[in-house]
Amino acid sequence: MPAAIDDRYNLRDQTAIVGVGNSAFARRTPEVSPLSLVVDAMRMALDDAGLRREQIDGLLINIGTPMGVDYDQTAEALGLDIRFADQTWTHGRQLGTVLAHAAMAVYFGLADYVACVCGLNWSRSGTVGAPGQNQDDREIGGAHYENPPYGVSSPGGAYALAAQRYFDRYGATSADLAEVCVTIRNHALLNPLATMKKPLTVADHQNSRLICEPLHLFDYCLTAGGACVVIVSRADRAVDCAKPPVYLSGFSALHAGRKEATGARPGLGVWQQDPDEAVPDARDLQIYPKAGVSQADINGFYTYDAMSSVVWMALERWGFCKPGEAWEFTKNGRIGLGGELPVNTSGGLLSEAHISSWNQICEITRQLRGECGPRQIPDAQFLQWGTNRGDSVVFRRA
Amino acid sequence: MTANVIAAPHPKPAPTISAYNKPYWDAARQHELRLQRCAECGRFWAPPGPICPLCFSGEFTWEQASGQGVITSLVTFHKSYHPEFDNDLPLAAALVELAEGPRLITNIVQADGTPPASGMPVEVVFEDHADFSLPQFRPVRPASGTRPPTPQG
Repeated sequence: MPAAIDDRYNLRDQTAIVGVGNSAFARRTPEVSPLSLVVDAMRMALDDAGLRREQIDGLLINIGTPMGVDYDQTAEALGLDIRFADQTWTHGRQLGTVLAHAAMAVYFGLADYVACVCGLNWSRSGTVGAPGQNQDDREIGGAHYENPPYGVSSPGGAYALAAQRYFDRYGATSADLAEVCVTIRNHALLNPLATMKKPLTVADHQNSRLICEPLHLFDYCLTAGGACVVIVSRADRAVDCAKPPVYLSGFSALHAGRKEATGARPGLGVWQQDPDEAVPDARDLQIYPKAGVSQADINGFYTYDAMSSVVWMALERWGFCKPGEAWEFTKNGRIGLGGELPVNTSGGLLSEAHISSWNQICEITRQLRGECGPRQIPDAQFLQWGTNRGDSVVFRRA
Repeated sequence: MTANVIAAPHPKPAPTISAYNKPYWDAARQHELRLQRCAECGRFWAPPGPICPLCFSGEFTWEQASGQGVITSLVTFHKSYHPEFDNDLPLAAALVELAEGPRLITNIVQADGTPPASGMPVEVVFEDHADFSLPQFRPVRPASGTRPPTPQG
């Protein structure tokens, strides 16, 4: 039985996003420094929040060198005066934990305004999965079951192993998955920031080359990079900023352990997972009462779409549908704008850009301020970020 | 060469050896598939580690596994990420669930025209390289020498 919610220890609506900013998103050549992209995003975020650079006293970097820039160089180059600095590696699974960390920092007065920064130039890593990537050197394989002697050496390999397991177990097909890609591409077409500008059909997807079968080219996220900055403050300071706050109502952090596997969700049965593990986990579902909502109140869902298949995994993990039913849930416009649960309304990693999903947090913020024009979810009040790895944040309109 | 040893088709990237996976690779060099088995709870685990992750006991042995398993997921790379595999495409890789429980990443070798697929029973063979031997898995051959059964559905 989950513990009763103890509101003495609940951060609900005590903190908020006060400003967001982004650079242009693009696939760039390796000599372009992520730092210049961070400057663009920081300028926009400060302007968005109505803050001066001097007011930023917290810095959370969600990827450092070489694809990004470390916290010390970022602070030095931007002339920031930081009293709360930290840095995480990125996969998108880290994002919820980073936002929770920012919220805790401002709540406890370790900083007044924390800038969460993700600046990436994917070209700096070459082909993701090629020799020399540090993930190959981990003793028991990297974060994606990297095992170079077997030719398994890319994130796509792990996602493909999970996707194929899902297909075999539940009868889903690549054509079913294509519909997820088409829906999210349609969202990107309404987003001037998105790098993908052409419509995608199921036929286009099915005709595209296989990379790690069963995954096609269009199942893979982009390597278009850029920078996003998200500024978090305590709620009492947020009301003095330039725009309505976007409140952080509930949190869940990155999970780890033998129930978890890249590209999967608990109970799928890949890597060392128990194939009978139940989802959703009652502890994870506590995010909703802690946020003061029920899942039915969620107006849109945002997830780390590194590969299309993980959208299914995240929907099942969070209980939006039963295990094995996501492939049907994502049909018939249900996850499209205008549908029951719009997903990744700015085009996600699949069609907007890969800023480790901080581009999604910018979109969530803009949605809850009513700024999204043709992409606007009507009367959006609660939006949820949630991944297949357990991290999640519930956001609330002011 | 014994029946469960095959020649390396070409050089491949060497495994990363650590203090606690070294016995796995030493055993593979001897053409044995050995896994850690907990002395307290009796379960096998993978990947190699310093203690039993299931009951947290520090007492274990490296026990020889049966070498039998079942494919639980199979994918095919159409892109090579290390130059050694450039001529191997399309390259199949799989998760094999051993009879003892743990799952291993492997290629499927000696499929002899029968497309490998999830549910197919497989057995270990050892691919000899200059400085290491790589456990691989092939479809189980019935004693009669006829083709192994294909998975239903």
